[in-house]
Amino acid sequence: MAPVATVSAAIPASRLRGQHGRPDMVSVGTIIWLSSELMFFAALFAAYFTIRAAEVDLWAQETTHLNVPFAAANTTILVLSSFTCQMGVFAAERSAAKGGPKVGRSGSLLQVGEWGMREWFILTYLMGAVFMAGQALEYTELVHAGLTMQSSAYGSMFYLTTGFHGIHVAGGLIAFLLVLGRTYLARRFTHEQAVSAIVVSYYWHFVDVVWIGLFATIYLIM
Amino acid sequence: MRAEVWIFAICTFFFVLVTPAYWFVTDSSDEGPEWTGTAALVMTALLAAMVTMYLAVQARKLDDRPEDLKDAEIADGAGELGFFPPYSWWPLWCAMTFGVLVLGVIFGWWLFLIGMGLGVLALSGWVFEYYRGVHAH
Repeated sequence: MAPVATVSAAIPASRLRGQHGRPDMVSVGTIIWLSSELMFFAALFAAYFTIRAAEVDLWAQETTHLNVPFAAANTTILVLSSFTCQMGVFAAERSAAKGGPKVGRSGSLLQVGEWGMREWFILTYLMGAVFMAGQALEYTELVHAGLTMQSSAYGSMFYLTTGFHGIHVAGGLIAFLLVLGRTYLARRFTHEQAVSAIVVSYYWHFVDVVWIGLFATIYLIM
Repeated sequence: MRAEVWIFAICTFFFVLVTPAYWFVTDSSDEGPEWTGTAALVMTALLAAMVTMYLAVQARKLDDRPEDLKDAEIADGAGELGFFPPYSWWPLWCAMTFGVLVLGVIFGWWLFLIGMGLGVLALSGWVFEYYRGVHAH
């Protein structure tokens, strides 16, 4: 009887260790894609300000529905989630001199200092989810106050800008789950997984900065 | 990578100057300030700044690449550039389930929910394709 060999493909070095001396192609591609995303939001900002300049009275009347303190608290949660996300990236990027990448925690869940990438990303995920829940609550209140997508040009712009941003947050949450899934599926932490974590953090910071712009536009400038 | 950093830094500098200039020039015209173009220019300045920041961080982290060196040979740039899957059927399933999701918005949320379920399968299949079976590591 022939000995049974387990079949496994060789893992390319670029996945395990990356290519020395070059920015990773996945991160270059992510930045190019984020540039086009930025222009997508530029169109939304331009539309908002253009219609606002033409409908001064409508804006003065409809912005009174906004709950600014609530939105400010929600914004704080999203901005803080960018910091927790970056802590996760620092854990994934930890140098070999300090013990190499730290994927999972080495202490109990309460020892925040011992957290790895997974714990920081799960916390970021939860904060992003709280932001989305807050957004849903805010939409419900505004719809009850009579502000809908169809009610006026202000309603259309409000829901288009915040709604498209919300879809991006949801996409980021899915991306966090997939990055976490990769770390649980593989037995070792590879360069490819570190890059996945880093590009998801790029995306998350981007979505966060866009929200700061939207918050300033919609709730502060009005 | 310093050359790339400089190209985008100069672009950023240009847009940072042009954006307020555009605002003031249109503001003094008879039609009043022009919001559309100003918003677009602000975002373009941010775009250039974002790429500059990314390249600057990479330039600081990495040694000079062959294309940055005057005495480099073509052969210095040879080797594995990255991981490119030879082929995959998963993007097709992802596109089709996305189609189901969009149709779900039109025909009813029941179809959207079916699309969500299929989408979880298709997206997981794509992202984890090289983490399973013979590629497990």
